[in-house]
Amino acid sequence: MSELELRLDRLGRELDWPETPDLRDGVRRRVADERRPREWRRPLVIALAALVVVVGALLAVPQSRSAILDFFGVGSVTIRSVDEYPELPLEPGRQFYGQRLSLAEARERAAFPIRVPSVDDLGTPRVYYLEDVQQVSLVYGSPEKPRLLISQIIGTGAIEKLVNSDQTDLELVRDGDAHGVWIEGEHVLHIPQLDEEIRLVGNTLVMERADNVTVRVEADIPKDEALEIFHSMR
Amino acid sequence: MVGRPLTEAELVERAKRGDQDAYGDLVHAYQGIAFRTAYLLTGNAADAEDAAQSAFVKAFYALGRFRSGAELRPWLLRIVANEARNRRRTAGRRANLALRAVAAEPSGGAAPSPETSLLDAERDAALLEAVNSLRDEEREVVACRYFLELSEEETAQALGLRKGTVKSRLSRALARLRERMEDEDV
Repeated sequence: MSELELRLDRLGRELDWPETPDLRDGVRRRVADERRPREWRRPLVIALAALVVVVGALLAVPQSRSAILDFFGVGSVTIRSVDEYPELPLEPGRQFYGQRLSLAEARERAAFPIRVPSVDDLGTPRVYYLEDVQQVSLVYGSPEKPRLLISQIIGTGAIEKLVNSDQTDLELVRDGDAHGVWIEGEHVLHIPQLDEEIRLVGNTLVMERADNVTVRVEADIPKDEALEIFHSMR
Repeated sequence: MVGRPLTEAELVERAKRGDQDAYGDLVHAYQGIAFRTAYLLTGNAADAEDAAQSAFVKAFYALGRFRSGAELRPWLLRIVANEARNRRRTAGRRANLALRAVAAEPSGGAAPSPETSLLDAERDAALLEAVNSLRDEEREVVACRYFLELSEEETAQALGLRKGTVKSRLSRALARLRERMEDEDV
């Protein structure tokens, strides 16, 4: 061990760590709270199924859609309803994608497995890593006007989608273990961490996988095609 | 007759079957390192407590996917790190570490002179400032390796990186720290 490493080692013992709280009671309480509904698993499943139908029906009604979407989120993406879109550029700014890397480098840096679609004829994407929110983007076509943008991110709350119910339709979707929403029509993509927004004319499929990775497939393509691309990601 | 304490593997197996007392013992065993990991990533004790607690709750429900015989600590810390990063992202702030007002006691021998103690304290403060100034991704690796005393393998698992990435980030971070310390002649 070098002298620097020895000093770092010693420094670690002199850090002003806050006292560790005893987490046992809190964990036990929260586990008990979350387990309680499991005793009612069957009614809960029925209730959830009903809720999906109700939410789906409400999403079809513009006035209800605004209220529902105020509380709607899929993994890392929060979907917010707005009455009017702000004036925004239609092309991404310089910091929008982050740093360009090779796929291998992005796989080294990302804290989750990066998947690439295996649909024919998509071509080879440019790969970018946006460190501020730990997002990996696969850009097909020119970065200024991509014909397809696939972004992958883990966690919650890093990305916002602003939708206007007059200009956008939403539909809940599912693909195996993954669930999400199909956003059809004009909307705004907002990255609060960068305070960067861009107005998207195309459609977006937002899906949260079982491993907590949220995938966005953004392109001017129909829902089935977006789902096919998502489904092919390995 | 007093039975032998249960091994970690036995506690995990019991917890998988829903034994809350067994899981409580595991929480007790790892709450210190979990809380400190969360604190490193959030820089805030309240967020760290919340992140660590949420991580233990998520881990309880994920135990069924935990492979018997695998190392529990890095598996838990991976969940803690994800929870902590989510909170840091939401809060939009960076975590900075601080030193105790009084440095640790010397390990043996005569007590150092006040001058030596002051010099050591200044050097430690400068080194900590240098660590705090590293890029997040390098700082996290340094903190896991030296402040949490995780192995490279554990650091890789906890931060969701490959071992090679941990090595290269650590090497870059140490080079930057050496450069900075030489610049400041401490």
